[in-house]
Amino acid sequence: MSNVCEDHIFSKVFKTHSKTVFNFIFYKFGNEEKAHDAVQEAFVKLWQNCAKVSPEKAKSYVYTVANNLYLNVIKAEKVRLKHANSLSNDRTNESPEFLMEEKEYKEKLDNALNALPDNQRTTFLLNRIDGKKYAEIAEMEGVSIKAIEKRMHLALKSLREHIDGI
Amino acid sequence: MQENYLAKWLSGELSEEELREFENSPEYASYKRLKDATSGLQAPEFDPDLALQRLKEKHIYNTPKVISLNPFKKFLRVAAVVAILLVGSYFYVSTLNEKVSTAYAERSEVVLPDNSEIFLNADSQVSFSKKNWDNKRNVDLKGEAFFKVAKGKKFTVSTEHGTVAVLGTQFNVENRKDFFEVTCYEGLVRVTHNNQETKLPAGTSFLVINGKIVDDGMPSGSLPSWMNNESSFESIPLKYVFAELERQFDIKVSSKNIDTNLLFTGSFNNTDLDMALKSISTPSKTNYRVKGDNVLFYAGNTP
Repeated sequence: MSNVCEDHIFSKVFKTHSKTVFNFIFYKFGNEEKAHDAVQEAFVKLWQNCAKVSPEKAKSYVYTVANNLYLNVIKAEKVRLKHANSLSNDRTNESPEFLMEEKEYKEKLDNALNALPDNQRTTFLLNRIDGKKYAEIAEMEGVSIKAIEKRMHLALKSLREHIDGI
Repeated sequence: MQENYLAKWLSGELSEEELREFENSPEYASYKRLKDATSGLQAPEFDPDLALQRLKEKHIYNTPKVISLNPFKKFLRVAAVVAILLVGSYFYVSTLNEKVSTAYAERSEVVLPDNSEIFLNADSQVSFSKKNWDNKRNVDLKGEAFFKVAKGKKFTVSTEHGTVAVLGTQFNVENRKDFFEVTCYEGLVRVTHNNQETKLPAGTSFLVINGKIVDDGMPSGSLPSWMNNESSFESIPLKYVFAELERQFDIKVSSKNIDTNLLFTGSFNNTDLDMALKSISTPSKTNYRVKGDNVLFYAGNTP
Protein backbone atom coordinates (compact mmCIF):
# COMPACT_ATOMS: atom_id res chain seq x y z
CA MET A 1 0.00 0.00 0.00
CA SER A 2 1.34 3.42 -0.88
CA ASN A 3 1.88 5.72 2.03
CA VAL A 4 2.00 9.50 2.26
CA CYS A 5 5.20 9.06 4.30
CA GLU A 6 6.96 8.03 1.10
CA ASP A 7 8.70 11.06 -0.33
CA HIS A 8 7.50 10.69 -3.91
CA ILE A 9 3.87 10.21 -2.87
CA PHE A 10 4.03 13.23 -0.59
CA SER A 11 5.61 15.38 -3.30
CA LYS A 12 2.94 14.28 -5.75
CA VAL A 13 0.14 15.17 -3.33
CA PHE A 14 1.83 18.51 -2.71
CA LYS A 15 2.18 19.38 -6.39
CA THR A 16 -1.40 18.37 -7.11
CA HIS A 17 -3.09 20.27 -4.33
CA SER A 18 -0.86 23.03 -2.97
CA LYS A 19 -1.91 25.60 -5.57
CA THR A 20 -5.58 25.06 -4.83
CA VAL A 21 -4.96 25.26 -1.08
CA PHE A 22 -3.14 28.53 -1.69
CA ASN A 23 -5.95 29.98 -3.81
CA PHE A 24 -8.60 28.65 -1.47
CA ILE A 25 -7.11 30.60 1.45
CA PHE A 26 -6.30 33.62 -0.68
CA TYR A 27 -9.85 33.93 -2.02
CA LYS A 28 -11.16 33.66 1.48
CA PHE A 29 -8.93 36.16 3.24
CA GLY A 30 -7.28 38.11 0.43
CA ASN A 31 -3.91 37.72 2.15
CA GLU A 32 -1.15 36.22 0.02
CA GLU A 33 1.28 35.79 2.87
CA LYS A 34 -1.26 33.94 4.98
CA ALA A 35 -2.13 31.77 1.98
CA HIS A 36 1.53 30.79 1.62
CA ASP A 37 1.71 30.05 5.33
CA ALA A 38 -1.47 27.98 5.16
CA VAL A 39 0.07 25.79 2.47
CA GLN A 40 3.15 25.24 4.62
CA GLU A 41 1.17 24.54 7.76
CA ALA A 42 -1.31 22.20 6.11
CA PHE A 43 1.35 20.09 4.44
CA VAL A 44 3.62 19.98 7.51
CA LYS A 45 0.66 18.58 9.43
CA LEU A 46 0.05 16.09 6.66
CA TRP A 47 3.71 15.03 6.80
CA GLN A 48 3.65 14.64 10.56
CA ASN A 49 0.56 12.49 10.35
CA CYS A 50 1.47 10.73 7.14
CA ALA A 51 1.05 7.28 8.66
CA LYS A 52 -2.52 8.00 9.65
CA VAL A 53 -3.70 9.69 6.45
CA SER A 54 -4.18 7.60 3.33
CA PRO A 55 -3.29 9.17 -0.05
CA GLU A 56 -7.00 9.29 -0.92
CA LYS A 57 -7.77 11.22 2.25
CA ALA A 58 -4.76 13.56 1.92
CA LYS A 59 -6.63 16.02 -0.31
CA SER A 60 -9.51 16.71 2.05
CA TYR A 61 -7.09 16.57 4.98
CA VAL A 62 -5.02 19.54 3.76
CA TYR A 63 -8.10 21.60 2.88
CA THR A 64 -9.55 20.98 6.31
CA VAL A 65 -6.34 21.91 8.08
CA ALA A 66 -5.89 25.05 5.95
CA ASN A 67 -9.48 26.05 6.38
CA ASN A 68 -9.41 25.64 10.16
CA LEU A 69 -6.11 27.44 10.47
CA TYR A 70 -7.46 30.98 10.19
CA LEU A 71 -11.01 30.30 11.18
CA ASN A 72 -12.16 33.33 13.17
CA VAL A 73 -8.55 34.45 13.50
CA ILE A 74 -7.90 36.88 10.69
CA LYS A 75 -10.15 39.37 9.07
CA ALA A 76 -10.60 39.22 5.35
CA GLU A 77 -8.62 41.79 3.41
CA LYS A 78 -9.21 43.09 -0.05
CA VAL A 79 -8.74 40.37 -2.59
CA ARG A 80 -6.65 41.66 -5.43
CA LEU A 81 -6.77 39.71 -8.63
CA LYS A 82 -5.11 40.23 -11.94
CA HIS A 83 -7.29 40.82 -14.94
CA ALA A 84 -6.20 39.38 -18.19
CA ASN A 85 -7.04 41.55 -21.13
CA SER A 86 -9.03 38.81 -22.65
CA LEU A 87 -11.80 41.11 -23.73
CA SER A 88 -9.52 43.33 -25.74
CA ASN A 89 -7.14 40.72 -27.09
CA ASP A 90 -9.01 40.24 -30.30
CA ARG A 91 -9.58 43.89 -30.86
CA THR A 92 -6.89 45.93 -32.42
CA ASN A 93 -8.34 49.37 -32.43
CA GLU A 94 -9.94 50.36 -29.22
CA SER A 95 -11.25 53.75 -28.58
CA PRO A 96 -10.17 55.62 -25.46
CA GLU A 97 -13.79 55.57 -24.39
CA PHE A 98 -13.90 51.84 -24.65
CA LEU A 99 -10.69 51.37 -22.67
CA MET A 100 -11.95 53.74 -20.05
CA GLU A 101 -15.20 51.87 -19.74
CA GLU A 102 -13.29 48.61 -19.54
CA LYS A 103 -11.13 49.89 -16.72
CA GLU A 104 -14.15 51.10 -14.82
CA TYR A 105 -15.87 47.78 -15.20
CA LYS A 106 -12.87 45.93 -13.76
CA GLU A 107 -12.80 48.21 -10.77
CA LYS A 108 -16.49 47.67 -10.19
CA LEU A 109 -15.95 43.93 -10.49
CA ASP A 110 -13.12 44.05 -7.94
CA ASN A 111 -15.27 45.97 -5.53
CA ALA A 112 -18.21 43.70 -6.08
CA LEU A 113 -16.05 40.61 -5.45
CA ASN A 114 -14.73 42.04 -2.23
CA ALA A 115 -18.22 42.91 -1.11
CA LEU A 116 -19.25 39.27 -1.35
CA PRO A 117 -19.38 37.14 1.79
CA ASP A 118 -16.13 35.15 2.16
CA ASN A 119 -17.63 31.78 1.36
CA GLN A 120 -19.47 33.03 -1.74
CA ARG A 121 -16.32 34.70 -3.06
CA THR A 122 -14.21 31.61 -2.38
CA THR A 123 -16.67 29.34 -4.12
CA PHE A 124 -17.12 31.70 -7.05
CA LEU A 125 -13.40 32.17 -7.64
CA LEU A 126 -12.50 28.50 -7.21
CA ASN A 127 -14.97 27.84 -9.99
CA ARG A 128 -14.11 30.75 -12.26
CA ILE A 129 -10.34 30.83 -11.85
CA ASP A 130 -9.38 27.30 -10.88
CA GLY A 131 -12.13 25.65 -12.90
CA LYS A 132 -13.17 23.55 -9.91
CA LYS A 133 -16.45 21.70 -10.32
CA TYR A 134 -19.16 22.35 -7.75
CA ALA A 135 -18.70 18.82 -6.43
CA GLU A 136 -15.00 19.42 -5.78
CA ILE A 137 -15.66 22.69 -3.99
CA ALA A 138 -18.33 20.99 -1.92
CA GLU A 139 -15.74 18.41 -0.87
CA MET A 140 -13.19 21.09 0.07
CA GLU A 141 -15.66 23.07 2.08
CA GLY A 142 -17.31 20.05 3.56
CA VAL A 143 -20.80 21.06 2.48
CA SER A 144 -23.33 19.73 -0.04
CA ILE A 145 -23.20 20.42 -3.78
CA LYS A 146 -26.56 22.12 -3.46
CA ALA A 147 -25.10 24.57 -0.94
CA ILE A 148 -22.29 25.39 -3.37
CA GLU A 149 -24.79 25.96 -6.19
CA LYS A 150 -26.69 28.28 -3.89
CA ARG A 151 -23.52 30.22 -3.13
CA MET A 152 -22.70 30.46 -6.84
CA HIS A 153 -26.16 31.67 -7.66
CA LEU A 154 -26.16 34.26 -4.91
CA ALA A 155 -22.63 35.36 -5.81
CA LEU A 156 -23.59 35.97 -9.45
CA LYS A 157 -26.73 37.79 -8.42
CA SER A 158 -24.91 40.06 -5.96
CA LEU A 159 -22.06 40.77 -8.38
CA ARG A 160 -24.45 41.80 -11.13
CA GLU A 161 -26.51 43.94 -8.80
CA HIS A 162 -23.37 45.57 -7.43
CA ILE A 163 -21.93 46.25 -10.88
CA ASP A 164 -25.18 47.45 -12.42
CA GLY A 165 -25.83 49.57 -9.39
CA ILE A 166 -29.18 48.08 -8.58
CA MET B 1 -36.50 28.85 -14.00
CA GLN B 2 -35.10 26.20 -11.69
CA GLU B 3 -33.47 26.90 -8.38
CA ASN B 4 -29.97 28.39 -8.54
CA TYR B 5 -30.29 28.76 -12.30
CA LEU B 6 -27.35 31.17 -12.45
CA ALA B 7 -25.08 28.46 -11.08
CA LYS B 8 -26.54 25.95 -13.53
CA TRP B 9 -26.02 28.39 -16.37
CA LEU B 10 -22.33 28.78 -15.52
CA SER B 11 -21.83 25.03 -15.33
CA GLY B 12 -23.82 24.51 -18.54
CA GLU B 13 -26.55 22.54 -16.87
CA LEU B 14 -29.55 24.55 -18.10
CA SER B 15 -31.90 22.93 -20.56
CA GLU B 16 -32.15 24.48 -24.02
CA GLU B 17 -35.51 25.93 -23.20
CA GLU B 18 -34.31 27.47 -19.95
CA LEU B 19 -31.20 28.78 -21.67
CA ARG B 20 -33.28 30.50 -24.37
CA GLU B 21 -35.54 32.01 -21.75
CA PHE B 22 -32.54 33.25 -19.78
CA GLU B 23 -30.82 34.67 -22.88
CA ASN B 24 -33.94 36.67 -23.68
CA SER B 25 -34.17 38.16 -20.22
CA PRO B 26 -33.11 41.80 -19.81
CA GLU B 27 -30.35 41.04 -17.28
CA TYR B 28 -28.67 38.43 -19.51
CA ALA B 29 -26.22 40.88 -21.05
CA SER B 30 -24.94 41.85 -17.60
CA TYR B 31 -24.41 38.22 -16.60
CA LYS B 32 -22.74 37.41 -19.91
CA ARG B 33 -20.28 40.20 -19.39
CA LEU B 34 -19.65 39.12 -15.84
CA LYS B 35 -18.93 35.62 -17.05
CA ASP B 36 -16.49 36.83 -19.69
CA ALA B 37 -14.75 39.24 -17.36
CA THR B 38 -14.27 36.70 -14.59
CA SER B 39 -12.93 34.08 -16.96
CA GLY B 40 -9.88 36.27 -17.38
CA LEU B 41 -9.19 36.61 -13.67
CA GLN B 42 -5.91 35.32 -12.30
CA ALA B 43 -4.85 34.38 -8.81
CA PRO B 44 -1.47 35.54 -7.49
CA GLU B 45 1.58 33.58 -8.58
CA PHE B 46 2.14 30.36 -6.75
CA ASP B 47 5.06 28.07 -7.53
CA PRO B 48 4.40 24.59 -6.11
CA ASP B 49 8.01 23.45 -6.64
CA LEU B 50 9.36 26.40 -4.74
CA ALA B 51 6.81 25.97 -1.97
CA LEU B 52 7.64 22.27 -1.68
CA GLN B 53 11.34 23.03 -1.49
CA ARG B 54 10.70 25.59 1.20
CA LEU B 55 8.53 23.15 3.10
CA LYS B 56 11.14 20.42 2.99
CA GLU B 57 14.02 22.65 4.02
CA LYS B 58 12.25 24.53 6.71
CA HIS B 59 10.03 21.94 8.28
CA ILE B 60 10.41 18.39 7.18
CA TYR B 61 14.17 17.96 7.30
CA ASN B 62 14.30 19.61 10.70
CA THR B 63 11.23 17.98 12.18
CA PRO B 64 11.33 14.43 13.29
CA LYS B 65 8.79 12.52 11.33
CA VAL B 66 6.15 10.93 13.50
CA ILE B 67 5.70 7.39 12.36
CA SER B 68 3.27 5.36 14.31
CA LEU B 69 4.80 2.10 15.46
CA ASN B 70 1.43 0.70 16.28
CA PRO B 71 1.11 -1.80 13.44
CA PHE B 72 4.39 -3.43 14.42
CA LYS B 73 3.60 -3.29 18.11
CA LYS B 74 0.28 -4.92 17.42
CA PHE B 75 2.01 -7.61 15.42
CA LEU B 76 4.47 -8.21 18.26
CA ARG B 77 1.64 -8.45 20.74
CA VAL B 78 -0.16 -11.02 18.62
CA ALA B 79 3.06 -12.91 18.02
CA ALA B 80 3.77 -13.00 21.76
CA VAL B 81 0.33 -14.35 22.54
CA VAL B 82 0.64 -17.00 19.86
CA ALA B 83 4.08 -17.99 21.12
CA ILE B 84 2.86 -18.27 24.71
CA LEU B 85 -0.12 -20.34 23.60
CA LEU B 86 2.09 -22.65 21.56
CA VAL B 87 4.65 -23.15 24.31
CA GLY B 88 1.92 -23.49 26.91
CA SER B 89 -0.06 -26.02 24.96
CA TYR B 90 3.12 -27.97 24.17
CA PHE B 91 3.89 -28.30 27.86
CA TYR B 92 0.29 -29.01 28.65
CA VAL B 93 -0.07 -31.69 26.01
CA SER B 94 3.25 -33.27 26.91
CA THR B 95 2.19 -33.62 30.53
CA LEU B 96 -1.16 -35.09 29.60
CA ASN B 97 -1.37 -38.72 30.44
CA GLU B 98 -2.07 -41.49 28.05
CA LYS B 99 -5.37 -42.97 29.01
CA VAL B 100 -6.89 -46.34 28.18
CA SER B 101 -10.25 -47.42 29.49
CA THR B 102 -12.71 -50.23 29.00
CA ALA B 103 -16.48 -50.26 29.24
CA TYR B 104 -18.66 -53.01 30.65
CA ALA B 105 -18.09 -56.36 28.93
CA GLU B 106 -14.92 -55.06 27.35
CA ARG B 107 -11.21 -55.94 27.59
CA SER B 108 -8.16 -54.12 26.51
CA GLU B 109 -4.41 -54.57 26.40
CA VAL B 110 -1.88 -51.80 26.83
CA VAL B 111 1.79 -52.01 26.01
CA LEU B 112 3.84 -49.53 27.97
CA PRO B 113 6.92 -47.75 26.58
CA ASP B 114 9.25 -50.29 28.24
CA ASN B 115 7.24 -53.21 26.84
CA SER B 116 5.56 -53.90 30.14
CA GLU B 117 2.02 -55.09 29.50
CA ILE B 118 -1.26 -54.25 31.12
CA PHE B 119 -4.41 -56.30 30.56
CA LEU B 120 -7.49 -54.32 31.46
CA ASN B 121 -10.58 -56.10 32.73
CA ALA B 122 -14.06 -54.71 32.12
CA ASP B 123 -14.95 -51.19 33.38
CA SER B 124 -11.38 -50.23 34.14
CA GLN B 125 -9.00 -47.46 33.31
CA VAL B 126 -5.26 -46.93 33.37
CA SER B 127 -3.40 -43.73 32.70
CA PHE B 128 0.30 -43.01 32.58
CA SER B 129 2.71 -40.40 31.30
CA LYS B 130 4.35 -41.59 28.10
CA LYS B 131 6.84 -38.74 28.03
CA ASN B 132 7.94 -39.12 31.61
CA TRP B 133 7.90 -42.88 31.56
CA ASP B 134 11.66 -43.38 31.66
CA ASN B 135 11.91 -41.30 34.83
CA LYS B 136 8.90 -42.61 36.60
CA ARG B 137 7.16 -45.84 35.90
CA ASN B 138 3.79 -45.02 37.40
CA VAL B 139 0.34 -46.14 36.37
CA ASP B 140 -2.93 -44.87 37.79
CA LEU B 141 -5.51 -47.60 37.92
CA LYS B 142 -9.22 -47.65 38.37
CA GLY B 143 -10.83 -51.06 38.20
CA GLU B 144 -8.93 -54.25 37.60
CA ALA B 145 -5.86 -55.07 35.59
CA PHE B 146 -3.19 -57.69 35.29
CA PHE B 147 0.36 -56.41 34.98
CA LYS B 148 3.37 -58.02 33.35
CA VAL B 149 6.12 -55.64 34.29
CA ALA B 150 9.42 -55.64 32.47
CA LYS B 151 12.48 -55.65 34.72
CA GLY B 152 13.83 -52.21 35.48
CA LYS B 153 13.31 -49.36 37.90
CA LYS B 154 10.51 -49.29 40.41
CA PHE B 155 7.11 -49.69 38.83
CA THR B 156 4.17 -48.26 40.75
CA VAL B 157 0.45 -48.81 40.41
CA SER B 158 -1.51 -46.07 42.16
CA THR B 159 -5.08 -46.71 43.18
CA GLU B 160 -7.38 -44.91 45.53
CA HIS B 161 -7.00 -47.77 47.99
CA GLY B 162 -3.25 -47.91 47.97
CA THR B 163 -0.19 -48.29 45.85
CA VAL B 164 1.55 -51.32 44.54
CA ALA B 165 5.27 -51.14 43.89
CA VAL B 166 7.32 -53.73 42.04
CA LEU B 167 10.59 -54.11 40.26
CA GLY B 168 9.66 -56.64 37.65
CA THR B 169 6.94 -59.19 38.00
CA GLN B 170 3.42 -60.29 37.14
CA PHE B 171 0.55 -59.34 39.34
CA ASN B 172 -3.11 -58.50 39.33
CA VAL B 173 -4.68 -55.46 40.95
CA GLU B 174 -8.40 -55.27 41.48
CA ASN B 175 -9.57 -51.94 42.73
CA ARG B 176 -13.32 -51.63 42.97
CA LYS B 177 -15.71 -49.87 45.28
CA ASP B 178 -14.80 -50.92 48.86
CA PHE B 179 -12.78 -53.73 47.33
CA PHE B 180 -9.02 -53.90 46.82
CA GLU B 181 -7.16 -57.03 45.91
CA VAL B 182 -3.61 -57.51 44.78
CA THR B 183 -2.43 -60.90 43.68
CA CYS B 184 1.19 -61.62 42.90
CA TYR B 185 1.97 -64.32 40.37
CA GLU B 186 5.70 -63.86 39.99
CA GLY B 187 8.46 -62.03 41.82
CA LEU B 188 7.71 -59.75 44.73
CA VAL B 189 5.11 -57.06 45.10
CA ARG B 190 5.02 -54.39 47.75
CA VAL B 191 1.54 -53.13 48.61
CA THR B 192 1.02 -49.95 50.57
CA HIS B 193 -2.44 -49.62 52.04
CA ASN B 194 -3.25 -46.99 54.66
CA ASN B 195 0.48 -46.29 54.98
CA GLN B 196 1.04 -49.90 55.85
CA GLU B 197 3.39 -51.85 53.71
CA THR B 198 2.83 -55.48 52.93
CA LYS B 199 5.29 -57.61 50.98
CA LEU B 200 3.60 -60.04 48.69
CA PRO B 201 5.67 -62.91 47.38
CA ALA B 202 4.60 -64.90 44.35
CA GLY B 203 1.52 -67.02 44.88
CA THR B 204 -0.06 -64.78 47.51
CA SER B 205 -2.65 -62.07 47.50
CA PHE B 206 -3.70 -59.14 49.57
CA LEU B 207 -7.38 -58.33 50.00
CA VAL B 208 -9.16 -55.43 51.60
CA ILE B 209 -12.94 -55.40 51.75
CA ASN B 210 -14.69 -52.38 53.18
CA GLY B 211 -11.43 -51.11 54.64
CA LYS B 212 -10.74 -54.40 56.45
CA ILE B 213 -7.84 -56.58 55.52
CA VAL B 214 -9.20 -60.04 54.82
CA ASP B 215 -7.19 -63.19 54.85
CA ASP B 216 -7.18 -64.35 51.29
CA GLY B 217 -6.59 -67.79 49.92
CA MET B 218 -3.78 -68.78 47.60
CA PRO B 219 -4.31 -67.90 43.99
CA SER B 220 -4.47 -70.85 41.66
CA GLY B 221 -2.64 -70.89 38.38
CA SER B 222 -0.15 -68.39 37.03
CA LEU B 223 -2.67 -65.92 35.67
CA PRO B 224 -5.73 -64.29 37.17
CA SER B 225 -8.73 -66.35 36.18
CA TRP B 226 -10.34 -63.51 34.26
CA MET B 227 -7.47 -63.67 31.82
CA ASN B 228 -8.93 -67.08 30.94
CA ASN B 229 -12.45 -65.69 30.74
CA GLU B 230 -13.43 -66.84 34.14
CA SER B 231 -14.17 -64.85 37.27
CA SER B 232 -13.37 -66.80 40.38
CA PHE B 233 -13.97 -65.93 44.00
CA GLU B 234 -12.85 -67.33 47.27
CA SER B 235 -14.94 -66.32 50.26
CA ILE B 236 -16.04 -63.08 48.68
CA PRO B 237 -19.31 -61.39 49.66
CA LEU B 238 -22.01 -62.06 47.12
CA LYS B 239 -22.48 -58.36 46.30
CA TYR B 240 -18.96 -58.16 44.82
CA VAL B 241 -19.74 -61.25 42.79
CA PHE B 242 -22.86 -59.57 41.46
CA ALA B 243 -20.90 -56.42 40.69
CA GLU B 244 -18.37 -58.45 38.71
CA LEU B 245 -21.21 -60.18 36.87
CA GLU B 246 -22.59 -56.79 35.88
CA ARG B 247 -19.19 -55.69 34.58
CA GLN B 248 -18.52 -58.82 32.62
CA PHE B 249 -21.86 -59.02 30.82
CA ASP B 250 -22.98 -55.39 30.86
CA ILE B 251 -26.18 -56.23 32.65
CA LYS B 252 -28.02 -54.93 35.69
CA VAL B 253 -28.12 -57.30 38.63
CA SER B 254 -30.58 -56.92 41.50
CA SER B 255 -31.50 -59.17 44.37
CA LYS B 256 -34.42 -59.83 46.62
CA ASN B 257 -34.50 -61.52 50.03
CA ILE B 258 -30.83 -62.33 49.75
CA ASP B 259 -28.08 -61.38 52.18
CA THR B 260 -25.49 -60.13 49.74
CA ASN B 261 -22.83 -60.22 52.44
CA LEU B 262 -22.85 -64.00 52.40
CA LEU B 263 -19.52 -65.31 51.26
CA PHE B 264 -19.28 -66.94 47.90
CA THR B 265 -16.68 -69.35 46.71
CA GLY B 266 -16.72 -70.41 43.12
CA SER B 267 -16.35 -68.99 39.64
CA PHE B 268 -18.36 -68.08 36.61
CA ASN B 269 -17.68 -68.04 32.92
CA ASN B 270 -17.27 -64.60 31.38
CA THR B 271 -18.58 -65.50 27.94
CA ASP B 272 -21.76 -67.44 28.59
CA LEU B 273 -24.31 -65.59 30.72
CA ASP B 274 -26.60 -68.54 31.14
CA MET B 275 -23.81 -70.69 32.45
CA ALA B 276 -22.53 -67.89 34.63
CA LEU B 277 -25.93 -67.40 36.24
CA LYS B 278 -26.18 -71.09 37.02
CA SER B 279 -22.66 -71.05 38.42
CA ILE B 280 -23.69 -68.42 40.89
CA SER B 281 -27.21 -69.51 41.74
CA THR B 282 -26.48 -73.17 42.39
CA PRO B 283 -23.78 -72.83 45.08
CA SER B 284 -25.53 -69.84 46.68
CA LYS B 285 -28.85 -71.68 46.68
CA THR B 286 -30.69 -68.84 45.00
CA ASN B 287 -32.94 -68.55 42.00
CA TYR B 288 -32.70 -66.06 39.18
CA ARG B 289 -34.85 -64.56 36.49
CA VAL B 290 -33.62 -62.80 33.35
CA LYS B 291 -35.58 -59.99 31.78
CA GLY B 292 -33.72 -58.30 28.95
CA ASP B 293 -30.59 -56.78 30.47
CA ASN B 294 -31.88 -57.23 33.98
CA VAL B 295 -31.22 -60.19 36.22
CA LEU B 296 -32.98 -60.70 39.51
CA PHE B 297 -31.59 -63.11 42.09
CA TYR B 298 -34.02 -64.16 44.74
CA ALA B 299 -34.29 -66.63 47.53
CA GLY B 300 -36.95 -69.28 47.84
CA ASN B 301 -39.66 -69.80 45.29
CA THR B 302 -41.23 -66.39 44.94
CA PRO B 303 -39.42 -63.52 43.27
